[in-house]
Amino acid sequence: MTEALSAEGLTKRYGRRAALSDCSLAVPAGRVVGLVGPNGAGKSTLLQLACGLLDPTSGRIEVLGERPVSGSPRVGFVAQDTPVYAGLTVAEHLRMGAHVNPSWDAEFAERRIAQTGLDPAQRAGKLSGGQRAQLALTVAAAKQPDLLLLDEPVASLDPLARRTFLRGLMELTADRGTSVVMSSHLVADLERVCDYLIVLVASQVRVAGEVDDLLAGHHRLVGRRRDPAGLGAGIAVVEQSHTEVQSTLIVRSTAPIDDPSWQVDRLDLEDIVLAYMSESAPQWVLEGQR
Amino acid sequence: MIWLTWRQFRAPLLSVAAVLLVLVAALAFTWARVSDLAGSTGFTGCRAAACETAAQSFLAAVSSETAGWLYYVAIGVVLALPVLLGIFWGAPLAARELETGTYRLIFTQSVSRRRWLLVKLLIGGGAAALCTGLVSLVLTGWAAVIDEAEGNRINPLIFMARGIVPIAFAALAFVVGVTAGLLLRRTVAAMAVTLLVVAALQVAVPLVLPRLLAQPVTSVAALDLNAPFGLSVDLSTKEAHVDIDADMPDAWILSATVVTSSGAEFRARADPACLPSEDMGGFSEACRTWLAAQNLRQKVTYVPGSRFWALQWREFGVLIAVTLGLSWFALWWIRRRLT
Repeated sequence: MTEALSAEGLTKRYGRRAALSDCSLAVPAGRVVGLVGPNGAGKSTLLQLACGLLDPTSGRIEVLGERPVSGSPRVGFVAQDTPVYAGLTVAEHLRMGAHVNPSWDAEFAERRIAQTGLDPAQRAGKLSGGQRAQLALTVAAAKQPDLLLLDEPVASLDPLARRTFLRGLMELTADRGTSVVMSSHLVADLERVCDYLIVLVASQVRVAGEVDDLLAGHHRLVGRRRDPAGLGAGIAVVEQSHTEVQSTLIVRSTAPIDDPSWQVDRLDLEDIVLAYMSESAPQWVLEGQR
Repeated sequence: MIWLTWRQFRAPLLSVAAVLLVLVAALAFTWARVSDLAGSTGFTGCRAAACETAAQSFLAAVSSETAGWLYYVAIGVVLALPVLLGIFWGAPLAARELETGTYRLIFTQSVSRRRWLLVKLLIGGGAAALCTGLVSLVLTGWAAVIDEAEGNRINPLIFMARGIVPIAFAALAFVVGVTAGLLLRRTVAAMAVTLLVVAALQVAVPLVLPRLLAQPVTSVAALDLNAPFGLSVDLSTKEAHVDIDADMPDAWILSATVVTSSGAEFRARADPACLPSEDMGGFSEACRTWLAAQNLRQKVTYVPGSRFWALQWREFGVLIAVTLGLSWFALWWIRRRLT
């Protein structure tokens, strides 16, 4: 399987400030990949490097097996705050798309605009945040890219617009099998659409893997206070907290936990992500098993 | 890409074109009147000596009519147009996209940044050249007879508002605006810098370029002491120096000096008769006689009016070469340095 995106030692600096430093990761193709992390983790920088809007200061990045260049017909991008031309109408945006993309699917674009209830004659500057995001997604998708990069596309939307947008995205990927990489700092949004998750903290991948594997492989253990070092092979501690009498651990384990002195709870995706994002998460838990 | 450029550019283009068409129409309507005046004052077809007075009465007649102020308005428009096009067409072209973030929309379509800029430069720069060229060439035709009467078509200020030089200047100003926008990434800052740079060019170019390109002619003739001249004497060193005001029709005079028979500029210890006297009654006869005995010549360096089109083409060529160089830089920058 070729990789949608791979990076090695990728660094982007602005003067002395590093927006992304020494980032290495691999994103599988054919998936809807969620990229989560706190603000400033380098998600936006990584996505803009991937679509060629930025050039790396050092390191290597490959997208669909090639060095990314802006203007590639194979990669679509919806930027944070979903920029559109305020003076152009919705229909004119589609016309623009048809003029600047040889692989433009006009029929799809018009159908999607009709489905999302946008008025083709409306100026894009008058659209609400959610409508603008829908328009930007339509333009990026009608280009028929092999990889669609979405930078926090739902961050500014209200919950209803968010749901509509994500449903639109799911229909799209179901139809075409496009690879998608979508960043967010809200796990709930990603949980709904993503089947693969990458947690990026301070330019480093904390965990990456299939959503189902992550859910099956992580547990919360609650029991009397003890040293987590004696847990045994195949169990890695992600987060731990202790009181006088009780220890609470979040662990990653390939095998079922059968020690009866632990109370074992399932975790939802948000718990897992927060555990990896929290300060006490050890640095050495990296690539997930696939 | 062409469609998008046209769609984004049509409003500013059409509004400028509308204003310019009004001016061109006004010139067209007064064209016949200017020719009539030239005929009725006897300037058209005048012969040698009669020409000077005929020209004066023709110019006086024109200045009292609509054509009189239209002449200055049109010169003002042709001189201001490059600056305005640079500020309002050139500067926002890239700066607005970078400022509002829409560059992330257009640069992630299937069009390379270089192609995007190339199309924008060609269409915008072409339109700037076309609009300015239309007004400049119509004005050059309309004012031809006035320029002939004034005999100042080769004068740097008038020269800048005639023929094809404004075309090259408009193209240059547009590219200056685009490049400023690319480098500064902010519309208002780019507009301000464009204003400063183009205004500075508009002052510097007439001062410098014609001197470098014109290959001026130098003529030396005996000094005519009956024509007006000025004699200055340094009171401490008693050194005398003669200034002349060379008046040559249809020529741009670069320098006029008084030289001795050896060719050096005349500076000599003044005869006592030439020292300023109590009565301030002008030169004494004795002083004139002394000056005449110095065997003085006047040396005039000038650009004859007949060089007009040759100089136009040369200046056009230089400005277009600078425009192309700056465009190349902008295309390189957007590809290599914008990120």
